[in-house]
Amino acid sequence: MSAQSDTPAIRQAVIIGGNRIPFARSNGAYAKASNQDMFTAALDGLVARFGLQGQRIGAVAGGAVLKHSKDFNLMRECVLGSSLASDTPAYDVQMACATGMEAIGSLANKIKLGQLDSGIGGGVDTTSDAPIAVSEGLRSMLLELSRARSTSAKLKAMSKFRPSFLAPNAPGTGEPRTGLSMGDHQALTTKAWNITREAQDELALASHKNLAAAYERHFFDDLITPFAGVSKDTNLRGDSTIEKLGSLKPVFGKSLGDAATMTAGNSTPLTDGASAVLLGSEAFARENDLPMLANFVDFEAAAVDFVHGAEGLLMAPAYAVARMLKRNNLTLQDFDFYEIHEAFAGTVLSTLAAWEDEEFCKNKLGLDAPLGAIDRSKLNVTGSSLAAGHPFAATGGRLVATLAKMLHEKGSGRGLISVCAAGGQGVVAILEAR
Amino acid sequence: MRKTIDLERVPTLGSLYAKALGDRVKELLPGAKTSLLVLPEVSHRVAALRPDRDQLVAYQRLMGDTVREELPSVFVHGLVFPVAMSVLVRDDFPLPLLGMVHLANSVEHFRPISPSSELEVIAYATDLREHRSGTQLDMVAEVRQADELIWRGVSTYLARGVWLGSKPERVAVSHDEFVPPRRSASWSLAADTGRAYAAVMGDYNPIHLSALSAKALGMKRAIAHGMYLAGRTLASSAPHEGGYTWSIDFATPVFLPSRVDVSFIESVDSTRFCGWNAKSGKPHFSGTIQRL
Repeated sequence: MSAQSDTPAIRQAVIIGGNRIPFARSNGAYAKASNQDMFTAALDGLVARFGLQGQRIGAVAGGAVLKHSKDFNLMRECVLGSSLASDTPAYDVQMACATGMEAIGSLANKIKLGQLDSGIGGGVDTTSDAPIAVSEGLRSMLLELSRARSTSAKLKAMSKFRPSFLAPNAPGTGEPRTGLSMGDHQALTTKAWNITREAQDELALASHKNLAAAYERHFFDDLITPFAGVSKDTNLRGDSTIEKLGSLKPVFGKSLGDAATMTAGNSTPLTDGASAVLLGSEAFARENDLPMLANFVDFEAAAVDFVHGAEGLLMAPAYAVARMLKRNNLTLQDFDFYEIHEAFAGTVLSTLAAWEDEEFCKNKLGLDAPLGAIDRSKLNVTGSSLAAGHPFAATGGRLVATLAKMLHEKGSGRGLISVCAAGGQGVVAILEAR
Repeated sequence: MRKTIDLERVPTLGSLYAKALGDRVKELLPGAKTSLLVLPEVSHRVAALRPDRDQLVAYQRLMGDTVREELPSVFVHGLVFPVAMSVLVRDDFPLPLLGMVHLANSVEHFRPISPSSELEVIAYATDLREHRSGTQLDMVAEVRQADELIWRGVSTYLARGVWLGSKPERVAVSHDEFVPPRRSASWSLAADTGRAYAAVMGDYNPIHLSALSAKALGMKRAIAHGMYLAGRTLASSAPHEGGYTWSIDFATPVFLPSRVDVSFIESVDSTRFCGWNAKSGKPHFSGTIQRL
């Protein structure tokens, strides 16, 4: 049982299993697949694995970060196109890269409260089949035209047309309030924590080696359903070397000159993919003869002020973990596995450095002593986003399913998940083995 | 005591620039005499200025601000600017408007101002004084609502090469080398940034519109409006719950198109900011926002 002593006894939310499609680099194997196609594939694979065809699930929750306006009810549309019973309710969640974690955590809470007996949480993203909007000028003109009643008002609206309106707007990775890309934001943090190029490349290499080894031992056999002819994450480079990674030129923080350390090798590429996780009460699992891999113990969100430079864009999980540990009477060392999402190698290393830093833990986290170092051999042991790729909203589902399975294999212990997100946010979670 | 001259309405900037251009041509004619450097003892007043909500929304969109039930401080500046300009183009105003350099602004924004307010605007010129490169003066604009002073802005301008007395000895000024701080944001300013601001606020000063029109006035390319830069800064950092003051100093112009890196450093009740050229590292502007 978890250590939430100040709350009345509530029932467990257990992770039954997960499924994802292999993640594919942008404009590659899934170039023509939509968010709906990919999430439906992940969902149907999950349903098939656990024999839930035709069943009503309590709720399906998830989302996509890059969404077409036609995707307004994305999860419900996916359910209607899946083999789940069509009276399964579904709703969309959006919290940037923490979308999947927020969807899964909220479902776990509803299961714990007895509002749901089962739920499927996850997410999907495509940067290939991305929405492209018309320019603001054309949009304003068309909206004014649609409001115009008289012919003269219509002509007046149309007279505002300029040829420059025809240039389309593609979504960017820039933060709306700063105009800096996520990588350029992380470059500031990476430099502030003095994270070296070598340390980042080593983390990236470990991610590829660990993911390759996990495939090698068939770890993903019951976590992945092939899609569009792909059966393995296409970004995986099991044969990468420290020399190859070291030869890449910096792509982020180039204004830092010689201090620029972030390359395409130690930053996640744009990726397409989808993931889904099945959760339920213990009773639901038993009645349906389903496995119970891990308990979803707790989760916590945090946000930081990155707009005026007080904190790094992707540092929120450092704060969330401190609060969650305190609530659960745990230390940072009380875990057997750490799944720290590798948005950039620099993000993981900056977060670890912050937890070890006395000043940061005292002044920013309000702690008497630093959270301390972790055993690095427990970090991302089956690879993470640098190797697998990072289809924004799909990463949470990948992490939860992977960690739950690792904990179940081990048969005891706890795991920590940490996911950073745009907007200076982050979601972290604790799972425990069953 | 200044004499108050009531204007029926806020003049359009286009007509004011047209007059300024005409004055400029007259100055270049042979026989034009240099007038005495004395500021006219007048205030120009508009008794009832009503903000236009469509213009307000267009401004907020341009600056990336949120549409709120309050007037952004730089928007207020834009509303009262033509009244100030009308003083600068008076026949008895001693300095040429076109070619004057905008050095700094300092604004007291005493409390949030509703877009439904009816505002009284008074503008006058004051404090003609020496500057190492010529003569500077302050244009003051005051905004009142039912006799309560709610906004007061001082814009400092420099007339280069115009001297109050005899031209002073050139004094070497030591500038501290500008070292760009850690950037908080990066603005990509398109070539049409000046035209976009002009379309919203009506400030069609040719130096902002196109490379060609800017060249005609001696600039190598079009430059961003100083108030556009201030507007972007305040859209990001101005408080909304109460009054505040802000000031901005302009170091070098932002030639368009350009990428400007910006730094914000917050303390308990103030924010210091500065902007510089992302490529060259040359400083463009700096200032402070201080909660009252």
